[in-house]
Amino acid sequence: MNRQHHFANRMNRRAFLHHAGFGLGAAALGSMLPAVQGASSFPNVQPRAKRVIFLCMAGGPSHLETFDYKPKLDQLHGQPMPGSFTEGQPIAQLQGQALKVQGHLTRFGRYGQSGQLISDYLPWHQKMADDICVIKSMVTEQINHDPAHTFMNTGTAISGRPSMGAWINYGLGSETENLPGFVVLSSVGGRNPQPIASRQWSSGFLPSRFQGVEFNSSGDPVHYVSNPAGVNSAQQHQLVETINRLNKHRNQTVRNPELDTRIAAYEMAFRMQVSVPDLIDVSDEPQHVLDMYGAKPGDGSYASNCLLARRLAERGVRFIHLYHRGWDHHGGLEKYMDICCGLTDKATWALLTDLKMRGMLDDTLIVWGGEFGRTPMFQGKGGAGRDHHIKGFSMWMAGGGIKGGMSYGATDELGYHAVDHVMHVRDMHATMLHLLGIDHMQLSTQFQGLDVRLTGVEKARVVTEIMA
Amino acid sequence: MQIRDSLVSLLVVLGVPVAEAEIDFNRQIRPILSQNCFFCHGFDRHERKAGLRLDTAEGAYKEAIVPGKPSESEVVVRILSNDPDDIMPPPDSHKRLKPEEIALLEQWIAEGARYAEAWSYVPPRKHTLPKVKDGKWPLNYIDHFVLARLEREQLMPAEDADNVTLLRRLFFDLTGLPPPVQVVEAFSSGNDPNAYEKIVDALLASDQYGERMAMYWLDLVRFADTVGYHGDQTHNASPYRDYVMDAFNDNMPFDQFTREQVAGDLLPNATIDQKIASCYNRLLQTSHEGGVQAKEYIAIYQADRVRNLSAVWMGATIGCAQCHDHKYDPYTIKDHYALAAFFADVDDTQHLKKGTNANPTWRGPELDVNTRRERALPEAERPKPRRVMITRALEKPRTVRVLARGNWQDDSGEIVTPAVPEFLPQIKSEGRASRLDLANWLCDVENGIGGFTARVMANRFWYLLLGKGISGVLDDFGGQGEPPEHPELLDYLAVRFYENNWNMKSLVKDIVMSHTYRQSSAASRDLMQRDPYNRLLARQSRYRLPAEMIRDNALQIGGLLNLSYGGSSVRPYQPAGYYRHLNFPTRKYSHHTDSQQWRRGVYMHWQRMFLHPMLKAMDAPTREECTAERSRSNTPSAALVLLNDPTFVEAARGFAENCLRANVNKTIDERIIWMFKTALSRQPDPEELKVLLDYIEKELKNYTLNQAAAEKLITSGLSSPAENIDMVELAAWSSLARVLMNVNEFNFRN
Repeated sequence: MNRQHHFANRMNRRAFLHHAGFGLGAAALGSMLPAVQGASSFPNVQPRAKRVIFLCMAGGPSHLETFDYKPKLDQLHGQPMPGSFTEGQPIAQLQGQALKVQGHLTRFGRYGQSGQLISDYLPWHQKMADDICVIKSMVTEQINHDPAHTFMNTGTAISGRPSMGAWINYGLGSETENLPGFVVLSSVGGRNPQPIASRQWSSGFLPSRFQGVEFNSSGDPVHYVSNPAGVNSAQQHQLVETINRLNKHRNQTVRNPELDTRIAAYEMAFRMQVSVPDLIDVSDEPQHVLDMYGAKPGDGSYASNCLLARRLAERGVRFIHLYHRGWDHHGGLEKYMDICCGLTDKATWALLTDLKMRGMLDDTLIVWGGEFGRTPMFQGKGGAGRDHHIKGFSMWMAGGGIKGGMSYGATDELGYHAVDHVMHVRDMHATMLHLLGIDHMQLSTQFQGLDVRLTGVEKARVVTEIMA
Repeated sequence: MQIRDSLVSLLVVLGVPVAEAEIDFNRQIRPILSQNCFFCHGFDRHERKAGLRLDTAEGAYKEAIVPGKPSESEVVVRILSNDPDDIMPPPDSHKRLKPEEIALLEQWIAEGARYAEAWSYVPPRKHTLPKVKDGKWPLNYIDHFVLARLEREQLMPAEDADNVTLLRRLFFDLTGLPPPVQVVEAFSSGNDPNAYEKIVDALLASDQYGERMAMYWLDLVRFADTVGYHGDQTHNASPYRDYVMDAFNDNMPFDQFTREQVAGDLLPNATIDQKIASCYNRLLQTSHEGGVQAKEYIAIYQADRVRNLSAVWMGATIGCAQCHDHKYDPYTIKDHYALAAFFADVDDTQHLKKGTNANPTWRGPELDVNTRRERALPEAERPKPRRVMITRALEKPRTVRVLARGNWQDDSGEIVTPAVPEFLPQIKSEGRASRLDLANWLCDVENGIGGFTARVMANRFWYLLLGKGISGVLDDFGGQGEPPEHPELLDYLAVRFYENNWNMKSLVKDIVMSHTYRQSSAASRDLMQRDPYNRLLARQSRYRLPAEMIRDNALQIGGLLNLSYGGSSVRPYQPAGYYRHLNFPTRKYSHHTDSQQWRRGVYMHWQRMFLHPMLKAMDAPTREECTAERSRSNTPSAALVLLNDPTFVEAARGFAENCLRANVNKTIDERIIWMFKTALSRQPDPEELKVLLDYIEKELKNYTLNQAAAEKLITSGLSSPAENIDMVELAAWSSLARVLMNVNEFNFRN
């Protein structure tokens, strides 16, 4: 009851400042508000999902070896790539080289009642063909990894903007008082792993409390979450209480308006110290669940992270960003697809299935994809591979509000350009926000004089066709 | 009178603007028009709808506004319309005017709809000092402006800050460090009327002043130790950091400081230091990823430079004109590229031709140098030269084109040569204008925009010392920025700054000597409601210390701080595996195992892609872009740092050890008081003493019962405690030190 009361008071102050016309952006209020609160005017459309699990296959998985089957590609295998496709197009490592067509390096089949096309690299995806909606017409604007991730996560390649997980927590607030609302997990294993900048989970110009917190598979699960050696939990609790007591006492004289948030921050820090180890400790999971994921606790694998993602979702974390970093297959594509799919395919299925069994898939949106796709053209750094490609690639969505068992949009006959129902990254953002109950046009904040949005200034489209 | 007072404050609280004699276009109307109308009816001719522009009187009077007649003005009719086809702003813009904004617009039109040139494009002038009723309060010119405004608002300045608060504030503001106990005591008990000024002068003359000011400048120019993209390899920049500190310490005039950074390499007989300064042009994020397209990155780099130069010196967002004319300010897309063309001679594409994943990476042209202070040392003591990136002008500058929509693949745009934005005073030079011309123009009061630059910088010094700029947006003086709350004061500071030969220390001294600066930061509830962001300056400000100072303060109180000056960047403790996401090459972080461990925060290795978690938690920026104002958050991550980061645990141990050493045979009370005074510069009150007494007794009991735990706590970190100190005592007092080092008062500047 106390907390309720406290919360109401703070709401009033916020409302007061807002109405008082002091021209405060939410960002300005940042340092004055408690840790759990969002921008309060959301949801403003009917929400279909409460949280997002974003499975990022960093490096750029090939759409041509996963979901996008093009018979013509096989027919033209080994022949020069028609100039009509590539002329004037941005090219990464294949700059200045002769371009030839690379046929599919695997077979495809139709699966599920929907007959969804899925490649042989993804046998476990085949089992969930009717749950996922594959978007085959994705386009992005950045052809190198680092800026492409930044673009996928923040809607622009310029550094310093908030990541989507920060935006969503800013809009909706958090559902947990013990954990951060935006958690990042990254996994070991795969090809020479992609570097990922912490910029990818930055809160940019939004208040810092919305930034993603990275969970580590070794050492402290969260930085500095363990007590110093020689200090036990009871002592640490005593310490935090003493700090807060002195602060409250001093405040009678100096009236620091940040007192409430400082105290809340220390209280949440302490709660995190208790709840994070509990979250990480999967000894309460039965063996069959561990087996289903293929998780070995503490190994830092994608499988273990999928299990953690479910545990985070259960505890109310709003945005879980899970990276697997092995997908940059310029060469040796077959070998590395085997490895990367082997590390992720089953665990992804397990996550979706587990959520479904627990009744959580209905309000959890799962998004799967890389920062871009790969060229229909051959690249041969150590066996056949493909270069970076941004003009057409595949992602999938499933769960909260998504119509499963369908595919959306299409690339041209060689899988180069997205030509049908093109879905730009900002359309994906707008759609994701919509499913969470947010009109993307209204999720904005002032920065450098502009109303900045995740979806940017160009028109973004909410793709209702893929909604259940 | 009383009734009027309470009415006024009530109206302000309710957000109802109090009618003034006449509406001030720049302060009251322009922000409304800019926010709601200029996007479609502003400067950008490509976006302009219906041919209507509302950013000029000429455009507005044509059809939209009838001066003196609000009800006949189409603007008002449209705003008040209920018809979704007519109403402005249109529904799909999601913008809507508030009733009080509409009332202001109507009043303004009724009064004649007078436009005024945007405040930041009018050169600053030295206004006469306003008269004040309380002639005794002002200590210098600053106070005349502040008090006159307060008197107009029927407010009183706050009381003077007490000696302890004032001294702590001054020390942190000028050096980033807490005052020694003896200085506080001498100051509090002494009666030298000039004591304060003497301390100010001493602090301005200390090396720590330059370190403190550099913290800020390095945010602006986005100084970091790594390239920032993809592999985020280390690049060579630390001599530039030392150059900046030296410049502040030597009180280099700001115009010279500008010239040396932007164009040090072009100065006749450029000195080593001027070449080091030209590293400014190389500080941007660069990519060393395989497969980057040189042409694309050249475009990215030139836009980055325009963003930074315009933000740092001009308080302008010319970066916004990369794809189209600026929406709110009179910068065209051509202005953007013409400004970029000044940097077309910067030799900065060598690494694109010869990409390397080595760490440190190679970003020629580079030079091996000793900084000026290092060169002044006898040769035997001189450290090994360090490498630094410098600017070297290409004989043949790159061709720069206007890239429509920012598209680097589009070769159809007009070729541009270096030029400053068209609506500003122009550079008069024979032939192609150079970076040196640009640098001179930035600080040329007569023929350039020196007055504007002075105002941008004066506003930032104000922010560093009062917590908030006079104009609240430190890097945007354009239409979407914030008109200054005290425009005449800001003008006066700017003019005095350049008239005084761009003397930065003197500007800082003026501010800290003012009565305004010396006020208490305590605010009554009424004042907090009326002026929550302290724009009227009826008090000082209170805020959490910046990241580097949080560290420095803890290490200083812990007796560990190593105050040596300059040199390569340093590596304090950092969580193991923090760089595991870095690759090309993979990275291993090894912290310093000698006294470099305890250097000041300004020297910390700045890894753009993975900034040290402590710096990050305390809102230090990654320095990928210009940061003119850091946010100040209170997050659980920050609390975890202060509670558990080994640097802070070790500092607490050091603090406890010093206490026990200095207080042999003293009572528990005496020890608590000693620690309290050392940490917070004041005596604890009885309640505080009691809380701490309870706490230390519990901790003494805990560690008496568990000596193994005591040993663990006191042996964390590199430094080790003296052997003759009782383990249990030391552990318990370390706990008490942790309390003191976590309370707000320790980490706030007040």
